[in-house]
Amino acid sequence: MKSRIGMGRLAYTLILTAWCASLSGNVAIAAPDATFVAGIIEANCVACHGPSMQNAGVRLDNLPVDFGDDRRATEEWHDVRNALNSGRMPPRDASNLSTEDRTVLLDWLDAALADSEHASEAAGTVMRRLNRVEYQNTMRDLLGLDIDYVKNLPADEASRDGFTNNGAALRMSALLVEHYLRAARDGLGRAIITGPAPPVFEHRAEETVVDKVKTVNWSNRLGRTGTFAARVPEFPDEGEFVLRITARAEGPPAAPYPRMHVSLGYRADTQTPSRTVAEVDVPDRSPRVFEFRARIEEFPLQSRTQSKYPGLLVWVRNAYTDGQPPPPPEKVPFEENGKLKDKLVWTEDPEFPKIVVESVEFRAPVYESWPPAHHKRLVPIQPESIRDEQRAVRASLRRFLRLAYRRPVRDAEVSLTLRYFETVRPTVETFEEALREVLSMALISPDFLYRIEDAEIGTPLDDHQLASRLSYFLWSTMPDERLMDLADRGLLSDPAALRRETERMLDDSRSWAFVERFSDEWLDLGGVHRIAINPNYYPGFDALLKGDMRRETQHYFAEILRQDDSAMKFLRSDFAMLNQPLAVHYGVPGPRGGDFQRVNIDAARGPGGLLTQASVLLSNSTGEDSHPVERGVWIRRALLGDPPAPPPPAVPNLETGDPDFGLLPVKRQLALHQDNEACARCHQGIDPWGIALEEFDAVGLRRDKITRRSGERVEVHSVDARTVLPDGSEVEGVNGLAQHLVDERRHQFARAFASKLASYALGRSLVHADEGSMDGIVAHFEKSGYRVRELCTIIVTSELFRSR
Amino acid sequence: MSRQSWRLSRRSFLHGTGVALALPFLECMEVGATNRQRPKRLCAAYFPYGIVDRKPGTEASEWNWFPAGSGSDFRFNRSMVSLEPHRSELTVLGGLSHPHGRVMGGHDTADTWLTGALMKEGHLENTVSVDQVAAARWSGKTRFRSLVLSTDGGVGEPTRSSTLSFSRTGQPVAADNNPRVVFDRLFGVDPRSREAQRQSMEASRSMLDLVLDDSKHLRTRLGTADRSKLDEYLQSVRQIEDRVQRSQRWLDIPKPSVDATGLHLEADDTTPAELVKTMYDLIYLAFQTDSTRVATYQLGNMNGATSIAGKFPQLLGLSDNMHSLAHGARKGDDGAEPLGLWDRFLTEQFSYFLGRLKDTPEGDGTLLDSTLVLYGSSNSQTHVNLNYPLVLAGGQGMGMRHGRYLQFGESTPMSNLFVTVLQRMDVQADSFADSTGPLAEVLA
Repeated sequence: MKSRIGMGRLAYTLILTAWCASLSGNVAIAAPDATFVAGIIEANCVACHGPSMQNAGVRLDNLPVDFGDDRRATEEWHDVRNALNSGRMPPRDASNLSTEDRTVLLDWLDAALADSEHASEAAGTVMRRLNRVEYQNTMRDLLGLDIDYVKNLPADEASRDGFTNNGAALRMSALLVEHYLRAARDGLGRAIITGPAPPVFEHRAEETVVDKVKTVNWSNRLGRTGTFAARVPEFPDEGEFVLRITARAEGPPAAPYPRMHVSLGYRADTQTPSRTVAEVDVPDRSPRVFEFRARIEEFPLQSRTQSKYPGLLVWVRNAYTDGQPPPPPEKVPFEENGKLKDKLVWTEDPEFPKIVVESVEFRAPVYESWPPAHHKRLVPIQPESIRDEQRAVRASLRRFLRLAYRRPVRDAEVSLTLRYFETVRPTVETFEEALREVLSMALISPDFLYRIEDAEIGTPLDDHQLASRLSYFLWSTMPDERLMDLADRGLLSDPAALRRETERMLDDSRSWAFVERFSDEWLDLGGVHRIAINPNYYPGFDALLKGDMRRETQHYFAEILRQDDSAMKFLRSDFAMLNQPLAVHYGVPGPRGGDFQRVNIDAARGPGGLLTQASVLLSNSTGEDSHPVERGVWIRRALLGDPPAPPPPAVPNLETGDPDFGLLPVKRQLALHQDNEACARCHQGIDPWGIALEEFDAVGLRRDKITRRSGERVEVHSVDARTVLPDGSEVEGVNGLAQHLVDERRHQFARAFASKLASYALGRSLVHADEGSMDGIVAHFEKSGYRVRELCTIIVTSELFRSR
Repeated sequence: MSRQSWRLSRRSFLHGTGVALALPFLECMEVGATNRQRPKRLCAAYFPYGIVDRKPGTEASEWNWFPAGSGSDFRFNRSMVSLEPHRSELTVLGGLSHPHGRVMGGHDTADTWLTGALMKEGHLENTVSVDQVAAARWSGKTRFRSLVLSTDGGVGEPTRSSTLSFSRTGQPVAADNNPRVVFDRLFGVDPRSREAQRQSMEASRSMLDLVLDDSKHLRTRLGTADRSKLDEYLQSVRQIEDRVQRSQRWLDIPKPSVDATGLHLEADDTTPAELVKTMYDLIYLAFQTDSTRVATYQLGNMNGATSIAGKFPQLLGLSDNMHSLAHGARKGDDGAEPLGLWDRFLTEQFSYFLGRLKDTPEGDGTLLDSTLVLYGSSNSQTHVNLNYPLVLAGGQGMGMRHGRYLQFGESTPMSNLFVTVLQRMDVQADSFADSTGPLAEVLA
């Protein structure tokens, strides 16, 4: 039954109440009263768009208000919203719709249209393409070879809630399939070897190379200046290498640790291409051996025909910095063959933490046996003769397809793949070449590229599908042998087993993939790289800090997860996760090295938690100053689960008559926004949230003065972070905001967070039909004291997770 | 600016390969590039968020993107002045927009710039883009059907697509965003013998056939939502099959050899000036070598949340990201200049591209004479899907008349321009999307 405007009002009052309740507990924004909506339309629109007249063919008196996913009605309401938003309707001479009524109408339309979209989305998970990270990790685990499988692969599509593991959002294109085929052939070309064991090259250097470039301080002692380089004369083109560097730290006792940056590359005529191997703290004053492993083909190697500067270069530098520029070298005259020459000499700063390199050893390729383990796993039977090959390829396929497809494989599937072996075998010389092709085919099959759950919507998943859900949720990779084994034996769907496995997987270092991706996408931490910091406002800002900022928040999430602490600590806590450069940036005491540690914080900066972390504050800044609008949007999206509607079409831009707009304090600028009817409706619900964070500048530092510039003119304002939130609460600054969130928005935040986590775990957006299940999950979560690790288990053992 | 010789050896390979002469494009090459036979090309380049459009006569209006004056009596403002040398080879178009775009979200229209489709809540299907219609017409003549580029690469999400091009069924055509990869695809040489390449292509084809076969069984086990996902996959695989077939046909014709000196193939999103220039260079080279006749380039989309192009202005020393520049452009006396400077940068890059086309002789004219270039956006001011800033350049050899600033009213849908563009590309088209006829005003 459709209710219509003009019919009994009780019917749609009930309906409106129903959808208000479903809007993620968003009780703060006053629910538009149905009687109002109907009344407003009758009073202002129906005369021209009603039974007697249908101007522009539009009739509103019989347009259903509970339109659900009714496409036609949705479209018509959509047009109504656009007409209202742009001020096109109602015409000024024909109606005097008050601003207040207009707002009620538009709020109702926004909510009802969003709701209709929500309702039209089907429940249940669709096939999910492996995204970039999942593809990389899965290929690594399946082939047993850690190389870069995703270079040149475009970024993944994100869902509306920001997740890149959402099956509906992830698309497939010819570009991707082509890439997958190339990556498969390339990876298998390395994983399945042919020929005898390659020769091993070794090199050891105790002194740095001294290159012709005179402006570099070539030295074993790496302080404010200093570069160590070892030249490896002979090396293979591919295979794993091991690099052992013996080094120690030197400097004042309590100084920060020096940080060793190791890279590999070569010297060309005008440049030295290189790629980072690793960066680590050097904490010990006695020599210690640092060992690094990687595949050599992942690094820039010179062409074999180039001979002017032969060899591979291993670079060691000190990445620690105190922000001071290195002092210029002195020119020291000396005599050579009776001629007076200059050489450059760098003075050492005794206060600066130094690395002393004692030796660098290089060895490649390294393998524990020949053929290497990854080859033996992919080729379990090495055929002795051509007659043996069928048996060998069958054995390889049985094992490989089960892992690649993440489920038991039928004989028919093996036979089908064998058909390709028969086609391709006569065209190549060796068994291995043909096998690589056959396995490549499996790696572009939909069974590998997608996670397929072919059960009826709402029915329980089988054990193997469950194993995949679990491993892609917590590890972003394929199930390991233990999960596959449990699934084979039908033991995984038992809730006790699921709980045990969740604990095991969270304890495993692979769960870092979950920490990194979920925190990144929930909080949009990638934003730090979208904003460029203006050096005129922040001279000396080191762009490398952006990576540290992002990692700070990831480590903060990891710490709460590890301690099974309360999710409320995201809003307010007494600790931070810092490393040395970030502690210096914030101006607080912290660890001595580049690794992150838990630090108790001084309440003077503000509470611990997301609201005071530079990643969030910088991502939502202009690069010069705070961006209260962006910060407000962020709070509503990430913390309250209540993202504001996207900008409507043809909202006239704010044209201010004030030539000094740029000099005004932010509150005055925003007030101009709110004076404008078209802007005000949305911005009233956004800006006040951001104002509360005005105590923090674009790089996340606390401030009490704000400088505004316009051309040559400069004005300084004091910070004003008092604000009235849309629900009427008055708060001041970050302390007030955090308190408001913890006290008044506890449930809203808990639901928003649990919904984000569930959405990530399921790989789809939540829809109407999920609200009931979410009620149960949130209730459990609240009962547990909002413990985050426990929430993972609650979700994994929920019906939502265990069924399609 | 380096304008060294791009060494081409089209002629030399023509002498070397007898078999290849069966191909139509080569027939045309063989008789020499006479005007009659000259290839016709289409390029479309897009930037997001809109331009400066302030009240004429104010100081801020000096940064207006649209010229002062009208008809042939117009003057470029500060941000567009670099187009002055090409004045007689281009037309500035004012007032055009897609009627469907006018009711779509303020940041939703990049997807429909070349399609004119209606994409609204709940139904976000697109329709074919004008470049792909032209590409289909000339598909058999060149090694590549079209060259689709963008800063973000891939396809992106509906309304925030990272490509301008959409297939016959409205599926996004994935864009390349890495100059090195594009260069290798266009001009890279496979070191293997021709026979080895042929065998590997054969193998690929039978592999793809089998994959398609096998997937049919899978299809029967799936529900409707999954089926449409699988269909997207199947379509992708079929496209690769087409490409392999196409490569097989072109196997005996060596790729044109091009000197990469001076190209910034390592440019990425941290070096916007080099990146944008290189993308234009690659389109230029693809046209010059007749590797393709159709190219699109999306300099950025309106996905404020993820577009890596958003920060380009800041990396060039301007004060804000693209989106905020566009928002700021209406504010205060000095709000226009920052966006104006960004507009100026974009125009300079575009002008550089036109210059390269113009400086390259072809037949008895230039490359620009036989290339239609559409440049612009689907927002005038940010969130305003009206009065698209547009420049149509080149194609004098295809019947275009230039040197004017033409203004249209809202009753003229932008698709009318596409009808004319398609007709000039020798496509039998009477209509496109919601067109009401051709746009005869741009013709000589």
